[in-house]
Amino acid sequence: MLSDVARRSPAPADMPPLPQFAHIKRAWDDAQQSVVARLLPGEYYVTRHPELLYTVLGSCVSACVRDTRLGIGGMNHFMLPLDGSGGASSWASVDLSAATRYGNVAMEYLINDLMKLGCQRANLEFKVVGGGKVLNMEMDVGGRNAAFVREYLRTEGFPIAAADLGDRFARKLFYDPRSGKVRVKRLNPTANLAVFERERQVSLPAPQAAGSVELF
Amino acid sequence: MKIMIVDDSSAMRMIVKKTLRLAGFEGHDVVEAEDGAKALAAIKAAAPDLVLSDWNMPNMTGLELLESLGKEGIKLKFGFVTTEATPDMRERATSAGARFLISKPFTPESFKEILGPHIG
Repeated sequence: MLSDVARRSPAPADMPPLPQFAHIKRAWDDAQQSVVARLLPGEYYVTRHPELLYTVLGSCVSACVRDTRLGIGGMNHFMLPLDGSGGASSWASVDLSAATRYGNVAMEYLINDLMKLGCQRANLEFKVVGGGKVLNMEMDVGGRNAAFVREYLRTEGFPIAAADLGDRFARKLFYDPRSGKVRVKRLNPTANLAVFERERQVSLPAPQAAGSVELF
Repeated sequence: MKIMIVDDSSAMRMIVKKTLRLAGFEGHDVVEAEDGAKALAAIKAAAPDLVLSDWNMPNMTGLELLESLGKEGIKLKFGFVTTEATPDMRERATSAGARFLISKPFTPESFKEILGPHIG
């Protein structure tokens, strides 16, 4: 017979997040039989605990990354600012767009937090998801995000272990940082507009609003 | 003028380099190092006039690099370009002798404003 302790589902309170992620919504999920951390657009999360990371992606992308030796990993959910600049296509050109600089920072936050936990660059495994062309408009916002994340990882010398990018779908994503397993459910296109609107409203601020300089 | 960019991200080194150009700082000798330890060795061999350094890096952080330069008695202009800038970090950067701290994401305009007085 199981003891009371063994029967009890692990609660997020038993697995406190790193201090910088106290705002991330986490709860026990019966269907997943796991604690699940739910990421909103613009958020990222890194964990050492046995838990799943979840998000819903429209035109945004998520990079799922873990140290294959330590089993520590994380995920982000970001989009390049909708400022109409060149984005990923201008990465290698002199016309360096604000959007590209911004996407770079979204990736750097995630990677830096993993490095602080002792992860090694050489052991990082990347899987990338999202970037759907979820709206019928000329500008392919999702394609731009997908191209950015591919180009970023290529420049950094990180191979992509798996990718589910582009196409016309929004996606539900579960990531298990311990095993590296990614599960993607492609959503019915009727959900596309709602997902896109949520991403657009709560996504990262425009680049000119962020960043600062300080003279000592 | 010789400018050294220290960052473990090659994408970020590329962006800093291009932003320097976009800010109008052209014709300078720009060198790169991928962490603090490599930067320290390179600086000992041939010191640049200005160092733009990331904070979080493997092997040796930007702050450790700055502190090591101080211990070695190597004097040069040094500033941070970093994603993280807590009050504690600013305090430590200032007391170690940093001239400025630029938060990412930065713009060519912020580079122009802050680096203008340091780059001829």
